[in-house]
Amino acid sequence: MTRRLILWLTGVTVLLWLLTAGLGALIMREEFDEVFDSSLAETAQRLLPLVVEDVFSRNSGEGPKRLPHSPGMEDEEYLTFQVRDQDGAVLLHSHDAPAEPFAAPLEPGFADTPTHRIFTTNAVSGSIVLQVADPLAHRAEAMSEGLQALLLPLLALVPLSVIAVWTIVRRALRPIGALSAQIGARSGANLAPLAPGPLPPELSTIAHSVDDLLDRLRRTIEAERSFTANSAHELRTPIAGSLAQTQRLIEELEAGPARDRALQIERSLHGLSRLAEKLLQLARADAGIGLAANPVVLEPIVRMVADEFSGSRAGGHPIDVVPARPFLAAAIDVDAFAIALRNLIENAVTHGAPDQPVTVLITPHGVDVTNAGPVLDSAALLRLKQPFERAGAVARGTGLGLAIADALARAMGARLTLISPARGRNDGFQASLVFPEGAVGPAPGGRPES
Amino acid sequence: MIGDAVRSHIASSGHAVDWARTIGSAAEHLSVGDYALVLLDLQLPDGSGLPFLKGLRQDGHRMPVIVVTARDQISDRIEGLNNGADDYLVKPFDLGELSARMGAVARRTAGRPDPLLTLGPVVIDMANRSVVVDGASVDLTAREWAVLDRLALRPGAVISKAQIEDALYAFGSEVESNTVEVYVSRLRRKIGASAVQTVRGVGYRLTAP
Repeated sequence: MTRRLILWLTGVTVLLWLLTAGLGALIMREEFDEVFDSSLAETAQRLLPLVVEDVFSRNSGEGPKRLPHSPGMEDEEYLTFQVRDQDGAVLLHSHDAPAEPFAAPLEPGFADTPTHRIFTTNAVSGSIVLQVADPLAHRAEAMSEGLQALLLPLLALVPLSVIAVWTIVRRALRPIGALSAQIGARSGANLAPLAPGPLPPELSTIAHSVDDLLDRLRRTIEAERSFTANSAHELRTPIAGSLAQTQRLIEELEAGPARDRALQIERSLHGLSRLAEKLLQLARADAGIGLAANPVVLEPIVRMVADEFSGSRAGGHPIDVVPARPFLAAAIDVDAFAIALRNLIENAVTHGAPDQPVTVLITPHGVDVTNAGPVLDSAALLRLKQPFERAGAVARGTGLGLAIADALARAMGARLTLISPARGRNDGFQASLVFPEGAVGPAPGGRPES
Repeated sequence: MIGDAVRSHIASSGHAVDWARTIGSAAEHLSVGDYALVLLDLQLPDGSGLPFLKGLRQDGHRMPVIVVTARDQISDRIEGLNNGADDYLVKPFDLGELSARMGAVARRTAGRPDPLLTLGPVVIDMANRSVVVDGASVDLTAREWAVLDRLALRPGAVISKAQIEDALYAFGSEVESNTVEVYVSRLRRKIGASAVQTVRGVGYRLTAP
């Protein structure tokens, strides 16, 4: 925008200057003509008595007389003249004037030939005619020099104008640039108001409007997050109470139909709990969590999530976490990352070979979660990110895990890639959270804070 | 509903439980009694449990605290642990997992993370609540187990009679004067008379028979 503005302003300035110069040239040409014509007429009037006397002293029958140069004036004459009789014959002419008559009528007044402007006057009842000629080249030269005087400064003015316009535009646009940089720094991770600073009134209005917009956006996201947090409490607490009471009931009942029914209720509550958790995660994925202003170290989060599934827990599964050194960090929301990773690990545990560990590999591109198991065809892989898709025959799980991970990956600016067989294996499945180039880097300070 | 089930579950394993339904009530309980472990919900009628937990730690309370909450986000968990929680359990949970976590946290706090304790011929599995003497499994009642569990947390250390009573009876319960002696006596009969030594005027300690 700055370059275009500079080009436009410079172009318009130069154009205006050229128009002004052109108009000035026209006026100058008119004024020059007036001055030259006046000078021509004045010269003729002054010269006429002198040439009349000279003609009278001339013997009849003589050819045209050429006057010699005046002493000290050997240069080319600007004005030349001829004295002609009433028939047009040249009686006398100045040193540089031709002996042939000027191609101009003998009537008094101005006349133009292709090369000269000629003023004609007469005396002795029109029997002696004086014609003074001014070469048009002389006038053109004067005009040319005048135009040069007008246009030459333009050559210096154009670069000066560019520098002046550039300086003024840069200075005038600096607040816009600063405001633009501040607005550009805002994202889902940073919805803080713009830093107050001296702004022109026009920009203050924009800054206030952007602040209002950010505030509304922030409140909307907070409301969504608060809603999902409250929903989590409202959904989980009664399920937890029902599950705990059912488990107490199971403990108190003797083996028999009543205990079997209680066990069935417990299984249903577990299923309901999983479904509620997935729906809450989906709601969170839609609540705009994903990016954060500050980088978080990945390994502690990966270990905490992996620990939820690890073999040390009842019904756990061996999870191998392969860390990266130096510690890696990314500017992502820890909850979004944890939910996405939890779903990938849960998917691997649920659908992978039960007797082989799930591997979680932290890489400079993100995280790879790999499990052993049967190879999936490419059509099945394509369907897996769809909600309630369980890759055909296997009906375990809610079918929402990979859809949630995919939504959260996008919210984090990453992508979820699914491949089978897993990289470096002949079987299995690998789900990877792949962040853009440069999004994952060495942790600030080299180590996690906690 | 969940509080009632949790209390019933823990009591069934022989431990004494005091249930405070508000932060104010919990503060009162903690001001008059020593507790082996605290289960803390975060969303309580009179406020959040996190500032309460932080205050406990600032006041010098060192008992293990397990946060039990519906807040399932990893950031909530980090915040809970950073405020002094020893573990974090998200609702809904299995009561069996709650017991396992309580046992693990209690052992970790006592400086004995290994759930297996071997004292000569006596092998106590704290995680699975089982006792084997000379290779034979021994059945313990809930109260007997509660006494053994309290002693086994710090084997060799003298545990006062009052501390054992606290582990057996909830706040305000009527405690008969010879209850501890009765359960210690039964325990001696099952795992060996010399396994539980009496330190006269002070309390009891668990040793290799």
